This record gives sequence, structure tokens and C-alpha cells, in this order.
Amino acid sequence: MRRRRLVEFNLLTGVVLGIVGFYVGWWLGHLVKAPSLDYFDDTGQNDIALFVAYFTGVVGFLVGLGFANYPVQRMLGKPPSLREKETEGIGRYFGLCTDHKVVGIQYLIGIGAFIFIGGLNAMLIRFELLRPTHLAWNGNNYLTLVGLHGTMMMGMMTSGILGPFANYFVPLMIGARRMAFPRIEALTFWLLMAAGTILMTALAFGGFPTGWTGYAPLSVQANMGMDAYIAFFALVGLSMTLLGLNMLATVITMRAPGLAWGRLPIFVWGTVSTSVLMLLAAPVLISTLFMLALDRTAQTGFFNDQAGGSPYLYENLFWIFGHPEVYILALPGMGIVLELLPVFSRKPLWGYRLAVTGLLGITLLSFLVWQHHLFVSGINADLRPFYMLSTELISLPTGFIFVCALGTLWAGRIRLTVPMLFALAWVFNFLIGGLSGVFLSDVPSDVTTHGSFFSMAHFHYTIMGGLVFAFFGAVYYWLPKMTGFELDERLGKLHFWVMFLAFNSTFGPLLVIGFLGMPRRVVTYAGYLQGANEWVSVSAFVLGASMLVFVANLVWSQVFARVPAGANPWGSKSIEFQLPSPVPVHDFDRIPTFGPDPYPYGGIEEAGFDGTRPAVSPARPTP
Amino acid sequence: MTEFAHPATDYGVVEEEPPALLERNLLIGSRLWASSLVFFFFAFLFAYFYLRSLNQHGLFQPKGVSPPQAWGAVVAVCLAASAVLLSWGAVDQRSERRGLWRLKGVGALALALVAVVAQVVAWSTLGFGPTDGGYASVYLGWTGLYTIFVVGSLYWLETCLALSFRYRDEPFGRAEVEPGDASGDDYREAPDIRNAVHLNTAELAALTFTWTTMAVIGVVTWVVLYLA
Amino acid sequence: MWSRRGHGWRIAALTTIGTAIVLPLVVFVLGPNMPPGKGTPVATSQVTDNTVLLVVMTPFTVFILVYLGYALTAFRAKPGEEGLDGAPLRGHFRSQVAWLASTTAAVLFLAIFGTTELLADNGAGGGAGPNPVTKPGGAPLPVQVIGQQWEFTYRYPTYGGVETATLVLPVGRKIAFHVTSLDAIHSFWAYELGVKADANPGVDNIAYVETKKISTFHVRCAELCGLWHGYMSDTGHVVSDADFASWIAARKRQFAPVMKYLPKYSSSYNPDPTFRAG
Repeated sequence: MRRRRLVEFNLLTGVVLGIVGFYVGWWLGHLVKAPSLDYFDDTGQNDIALFVAYFTGVVGFLVGLGFANYPVQRMLGKPPSLREKETEGIGRYFGLCTDHKVVGIQYLIGIGAFIFIGGLNAMLIRFELLRPTHLAWNGNNYLTLVGLHGTMMMGMMTSGILGPFANYFVPLMIGARRMAFPRIEALTFWLLMAAGTILMTALAFGGFPTGWTGYAPLSVQANMGMDAYIAFFALVGLSMTLLGLNMLATVITMRAPGLAWGRLPIFVWGTVSTSVLMLLAAPVLISTLFMLALDRTAQTGFFNDQAGGSPYLYENLFWIFGHPEVYILALPGMGIVLELLPVFSRKPLWGYRLAVTGLLGITLLSFLVWQHHLFVSGINADLRPFYMLSTELISLPTGFIFVCALGTLWAGRIRLTVPMLFALAWVFNFLIGGLSGVFLSDVPSDVTTHGSFFSMAHFHYTIMGGLVFAFFGAVYYWLPKMTGFELDERLGKLHFWVMFLAFNSTFGPLLVIGFLGMPRRVVTYAGYLQGANEWVSVSAFVLGASMLVFVANLVWSQVFARVPAGANPWGSKSIEFQLPSPVPVHDFDRIPTFGPDPYPYGGIEEAGFDGTRPAVSPARPTP
Repeated sequence: MTEFAHPATDYGVVEEEPPALLERNLLIGSRLWASSLVFFFFAFLFAYFYLRSLNQHGLFQPKGVSPPQAWGAVVAVCLAASAVLLSWGAVDQRSERRGLWRLKGVGALALALVAVVAQVVAWSTLGFGPTDGGYASVYLGWTGLYTIFVVGSLYWLETCLALSFRYRDEPFGRAEVEPGDASGDDYREAPDIRNAVHLNTAELAALTFTWTTMAVIGVVTWVVLYLA
Repeated sequence: MWSRRGHGWRIAALTTIGTAIVLPLVVFVLGPNMPPGKGTPVATSQVTDNTVLLVVMTPFTVFILVYLGYALTAFRAKPGEEGLDGAPLRGHFRSQVAWLASTTAAVLFLAIFGTTELLADNGAGGGAGPNPVTKPGGAPLPVQVIGQQWEFTYRYPTYGGVETATLVLPVGRKIAFHVTSLDAIHSFWAYELGVKADANPGVDNIAYVETKKISTFHVRCAELCGLWHGYMSDTGHVVSDADFASWIAARKRQFAPVMKYLPKYSSSYNPDPTFRAG
């Protein structure tokens, strides 16, 4: 007895209402007339109208997806409910669905698409850098490409692992059927999609020149594309805050019986530490961007040296968020790697407590290092020794992660499957990333490396070499569980080797190019660096091509070959692999109970969970 | 290895969850959100003291830029009173004096609305504009974002009140709820929260914590922007 | 089952041998070629710094790579072992403590070393803000670097505040760069001098350097500053005292007519705040 609606709430309605909302807001914004704002009449640049348009556009999009129904019902006094559209069928992927597994897959596809766009931008950047002088893009287009690439990646990849994999697997791993706040979970995803679309509209408003950092006063003087950056990052920040809150609440309250903190799989710990950073750091970003938006619209002077403000304020606030942000990108990768190594070494995680200490230590320290991005800026020069020390201290907890990864390999029975290869590549890449970071943390050395291609190559080693490799490890490990179909092993190995070699061949030389004096984000460079840059560009194109191998693998094995994966293709002892593939809508018949050991490898017969309770509910016959 | 789940879903079998879990979710969620709120406004606190200590070109707070003291005091007092009233109301709800809680809840809502109106009046009678230095910027940004958050919290308070009014005649915790009522999923056979109205108490406790945090932030805002 | 002690000794031996091979290469081959070269004492100390950092990381790097390589050969599942598990090891107190102790020692050494280098070189060539903690002895020649979209100009306050578009410095002198900006944030990067200092509007960011030999050096903007950031580069010259004197005298003559239109020399300048550009 399903009530028919004239217009269903789904993605199509959302897009239509989003566009309508945008133009309504645009019109409303142009009605704003204040004596202090006649400045806009001179330039034809009405930032207020664009901000209002983005706001109403997002609201329209969410209303069309069906996010307004429940809040309105609650305003009328209807009692709370948890689930929405948790059904079978393909339609649930195109709208508000509170099933954490649907949200996970939505994230994987949605974020994947935007990351593909971000990667494409990188290809275009490297094309320009084939020549030391102007080749294809003029200054503004080049900077817009740089900005779009950086912002898209830094924004979207924050949820690159927590979005798809934590949403999907953390509830399973802790023996829960849902996240603590399922509607907020769905909201975080659709906010990201709205944000990514908004960032792309920067192209229609002249792009933006600031890169992903958006330093004022350049971002205050920039044209309207900057508003897209601000709206994008604010929405991403909101999505991150809510995602972190939801994850933390879930892990705190919804662990199944027996699952004490010391028994959580390490991936859940990685998620927890990331969520703490998201919950606390992202609000600072939102507030900072709010100030920036006010500077651009209401002509306040937060970051205007001539109006009682200071550009230093932006740099400080941005990096108070920005440094935790880079660990938001790094920590989930560590969680994934430490989760994969035991499975494919057939051993328990070595030094579980040390690994947890490492993750939490990084979480704490990442709030105390932000001025190492500003060593040569002239801010608080007398505090530089402190920030040098705190930055170098981070290598201690990071070292814990390394030693746990290495110890897990010790005397194992290592199987070099595709996920394992990606996890091992993480160890190598993150090692290079960490070592290059030492140069940047040392003030005298940072004088040369700051703002150069060296620092750019450094964080690509940690984020692309760390996070993205861990991301693909997770994809190869968990996608058979999510879809029920295997990924092709040979194509997977081809993807890995091309990606790994091309990655190092791209960013290894970039470390050297940075050392030789090439600054970041430049469209021209010194002639003697041309050979090296050509090498890097070609490597980058190969790196891009390796992504096509992955896409081919994905399409081939999931659409055409469709080899059923079975419940446990890897022989993993983690609980999600004891469930059918794909996982049924309701996850568990009965909430399982957990024993003391999350990694029961090595001859111990009893599993880490479910000693006593019947797993399948007595109300139905055991299959 | 044991199977944990049957591939097909039978909601009659699987949909059960201890009611205490939902309450804990709300309480923990409100505490996490409160910690997040602190960081939202930490940025403005930082901005205030940073710009004040720099005082670029002596333009942080030029002569004549002073906030409307009377309205500021009204805002702070109303918010604090609203938080106290709501906490008091939550005590009533716990002791099953639901009528009294509704009365105090409406009072808290009204006081907070007075605070919002007073803030709007304060903006319109400022005597300085956004371009008048660092203090003016921080004042407008901070109070602006804060007011947005206050309005958002009031929405939550309104839903608690609305639920309580809608089920005011039902005995406590006995209300009959249609399956999938608020979510609109009318194919459900059983409500996904058993005893959803009972949750009102926990939701109120969570809201009280958030609202008290907001009020504390509001008082800090007042102290920093008006008194310091 | 496994002769684990044997594995340990072999990894230790390989690490020692590897370090013994790599370390001399790092010190004698790679080290002297580290950036930014030995143009000035500050740059030289950065080279030393980079070399020391490499030396400290070498044993750790060699150990991790040797370990990875060894583990992937020795601990691979042999055919027929696929279903079997490895040894259920959950940690090893002594190796964990040893790791913690060695990384802590390295980190503390790096922090102390970096701090001493920073203080000894009066900021090590980096911008140290308007009031540097340490100042070089004597009277350094002040040179103001003004970043603006999109070029650097230079003012010499001891020569009447003359403003030039090229940077020329006398050899053998201590220089105090006073870096400021008129619009967005720039960063003054004189690569071969080992100097980098952000140019912020309204801020006098000071970096010290001592010129050592007659040479040319590259100047680039190292902070994204807008449309033509990629073109904001320049060549500077270190010249002899006599050449510098004649050059600056020529510039003073050349720019004498425009001096009265220039704003008076100041540690920072106040441009029109409402100016906006693409």
C-alpha cells in the first residue's frame, strides 16, 4: 500500500530543484541594494548574489532529494524514526537512503567521479609544464586548473576512505546494523556531491587563482570563481564535521557486546582518530571561510591589513584546520594498511597497542604544529624552534605505525595479492613522504624547500602515495564484499605495477626539481629544468593511464565477467567476511558478540567474535 | 565459521534494538556536537585576540566603534535564562511532569527568540559598519554565525516541544506510533523505533546539553565583545 | 619452526653493511651537491643541514628497506602454504623499546641541531619577522624588497631610498633584506643566496645574508600571488664594492627626477585598500 507521489524525491528532482534554487537565489541576491554596496554596480561582480544562489541551490537540491520531509514532519510533532528507503533495488542509490551500505557505495562512485576530474586536472597541469614557457593555458586558466586539482583532491579525499569504507564497514566491524545517525550519514554524502558540483561552477565564474589554500588577500581580491571555492570548502567542512560526529558516536555507543575498546579492529581506530580531527578541525575551516566570505561580500576587514585586519590571521586559522586536515588524509590510510597486512601475512597485528598509540598520538600532535607551514612568513619567528620540535615529534607516532607494519610481516606467510601489494607500496611511499617531510620540518632546510616543488612532491608522496594507494588497496580488498563480484587479479596487478612505478617516476624527480629551485604553482620555469619536467609529465600521463586500467578492470569484472566472489575470498577472519556477499540489507540477524582477539590468526581456533550466541535468529531456519 | 546473517531480510525478525541505545546515541551525539561548537567559535575568539594584539595601523577599534551595550546585555541575559529554564524543564520531563516541561520549554523558546530579535535590533543600531576595523569585523562575523547557530538549535527545541504537544494526552511512553510515520516509508510493517515518544526525554537531555553549551558560548561572546 | 634469531641477525648485518655503503656516499657524494649550493654562509649552512638530515635518516631508511626486501623474500607463503597462518606474534617488548628509543634520540637530535643552526645563522636566511631574535653583528646593508603584482622592486634606504627593478648587492657585505608587499602575499626567494622570506602587506619581514663571492643568482616568487605568479622571476647580481658604488650612483642619477613622486621610504606601505584585480 505504497502512497504514490506525483513527483518522487530523488536525484533528478534534486538536480532540478537545485538549478531552480540557484537562479532564484541569484535573482534574490541581485535585489540586495545597500548604500555601502554600490561598489558592485561598478564591477558587475555581485558576490552576494552568488553566495545566496549557492545557498538556495544547495537547499533546493537537498529538498528535491527528500531531506526536508523528515525535518518538516518533526516540526509538526511526528515522532523520530531511523530508516528511510532501506529497500532492495537500484532506485535507492539515487536519493536519500539511510542504509549505511548504500551510502558507502554512493560515496565510492560519487567521490570516485570527482577524483577522476581532479586527476584529469593534474594531467592538464603536467601538459602545460612540458615546456618552460607558455604552452597551452594562460596564467588564469593554469592557476584555475591548479586550484581545481588541489581543492577537489583535498576536499573530496578527506572522505575518500571514511566515506565509502568506514560507512560501509565500521558498523559491520563493530557489530552494528546502522550508523548512530543514519540520516546525517546520507546527508554527508549528498552535501559532498553538491559541493563538488559547486566547485566545478568556478569555471563559469572566471576560475580562482589561489590554489587550495586560498590565502588572503589574494582570495579577497579574486574574481567570482573564488566564491565557488569558499562554498565548496564550507560544504565539505560541514560534511566532514557531521561525518566525524556520526562515526565517533557510532563507535562509542554501538559496539556489540564484548567489543571493548582494546578489541576494535585497527581500521576502526584509524576511523576514530580521523573522526576526532574532522569533528574539531573542520569547524575552524567553516568559520574561517565565513570570515573570508564576509570580507568578499560585506567588506569586513578580517584579512585586510588596511582595515585593522591581517593576512596572518587567515594563514593561522587556515593551518589550524589545514594541518589536522592533512592527517585526516593520512590516518585512514594507516588504518587500512594495518588492517590489510595481518590478513595477507596470516598473522595478528604486531604491536596493537603501539599502533593505537601511534594513531592517537598523531591525532593529538597534529593540532600543535600548524605554524610549520609559516616558517618563512615572518609570523612569530621566535616560536619556530617549538614548531620544529613538535613537527619532528610527529615522526615518533608515525614511526609506531611503521614498526607495527614491519613487525606484522615478520615470520608471516605473505601472499602478494593485489590489496597486499598496495599496502606494501604504502609502506614504501609513505617512507619517502615521511623522510622528505623531515627537510620541511627543519627550519634552515625549509628556507629552500618551502613553497617549492619539493614540498609539493612531499605531500603527494604522503597523500597520493599514502592515502590513494591505501584507497586502492581497500577497493581491491573490499569491493568483492560490497558488490559480490571479484575484481580481475591480472588487471589488478597490471594496474598496481604501472601505478606504482609511474607514481615514483613522477614524484621522485619532482623532489629533485624542487631542490633545484622550482617553485610551486608556476606556469613557467627555468630552462635547465625542462628535461626533468618532460620526464615527470610523461610519467604523470602513464600514472593517469594506470587509472584507466583500473576503470577497465572495474567495468570488465563488475559488468561483464561477474565472477561471484563468495563470502570470504581472502580467507580473512574479520567479521564482515563472515557475512554473505553482498551484505544483506539488515546486516546481521542477531547482533554478534565479540571475543578478545580482533586478529585470530596463527593456529587459534576460536574466532574473535561470537562464541556463544546463535548467529542466525531462531525465528527462521538455519540455511 | 558460522553464518551471521540470512541473505534475505525479514524485518519482523531482525528489527529490534535496545531502546537505551538510541538514548545513548543522542546524549553522546550532543556532547560531540558541543565540542564541535566550541571549535566553531574558537576561530572567532582567536581572530579577536589576534587582531587586537596586532592592532594594525591602530585600526582594530578606532574611536567611536563601540557595541550597543544595552542590547548586548539583553541578548546574553535572555540566552542564559533560556538555558536555565530549559534545564529546569528537562528535570520536569524526567519526573513525568510533562505539562510543566512544555510550559518551560515554550518559555525557553520565547526567551531565545527575544535574544535573536535583540541581536537583530543591535545590528541595526550599531553605529559602525563592517568596514570600520578589526573589531567591527569580528563583532559582525561572530554574532552573525552565532545567531545562525542559535536559530538552528531553536529548530531542535521546537521539534521536542511539538512532539510533546502532539502526544500530550497519551500516557507517558504508551503512545501508538504508525510504522514509518515521519520518514514517509509507508510500506513498513513495524515502527523502526519502538516507543519513539519515550525518546523525548533523552532528546531533551541532549538538547539541554547543547543549548547550555550554546548559552555559555553566548555569554563568552558577550564578555569578549562587550566587556573586554 | 622458524629460526627467527637467524633472520634477525641477517637483517641486522644487511642493515649495517648497507648503511656502511650508503653513508659515505651520502656524506661525500650527495651531501656537497645538496641545495642550495655554497653561495653564501647561510646557503652553505643549509647544505650542511641537509647533509646532516640525510645522515640521520640513512640508517632508518636502510633498515626499513632491507627489512621490507628481506621479509618479502623470506616470509613469502610457499606453494602449498596458502591456507596456513603465520606465527601468532603480538609484539616484542625489547624491539619496540629499541625502536622508540632510537627514533626519539634522532628526533631530539634533529630538533636541537635545527634550533642551534637557526640561531647561529640569525634566522638561517628565512624571513624572521619584524623583530628577529638574533641579529648579526656590525651594520648590515638594508635592502628593501617590495613584492607587488607581479614584480619585485628594491629600495636602498642608505642611498636616498632609490628604488630599482633589479637587485644588485655588494660583495662581502652583510645584507638585511626588509621584505614587504603592496598587495597579495608574495615570497622573496633568492635561491643561490639561501634566502626566502614572505612578503606580506603591512609587515616588515627581515632576512639576513652575507654575500661571499661575485655571482648572479635567481630570484623567484615562491608564494602564489595571482595571475602572473609564474612569470615573477628575476636575476640578481653580487658585484664588487666599486661596481656597486658606481651602479647605485648611476641609479640615483637616473631616478632623481622621479624621487619626489615616490612615497617616503618606510618599513611598509599603504596602498589603496579597495583596489581589486583579477
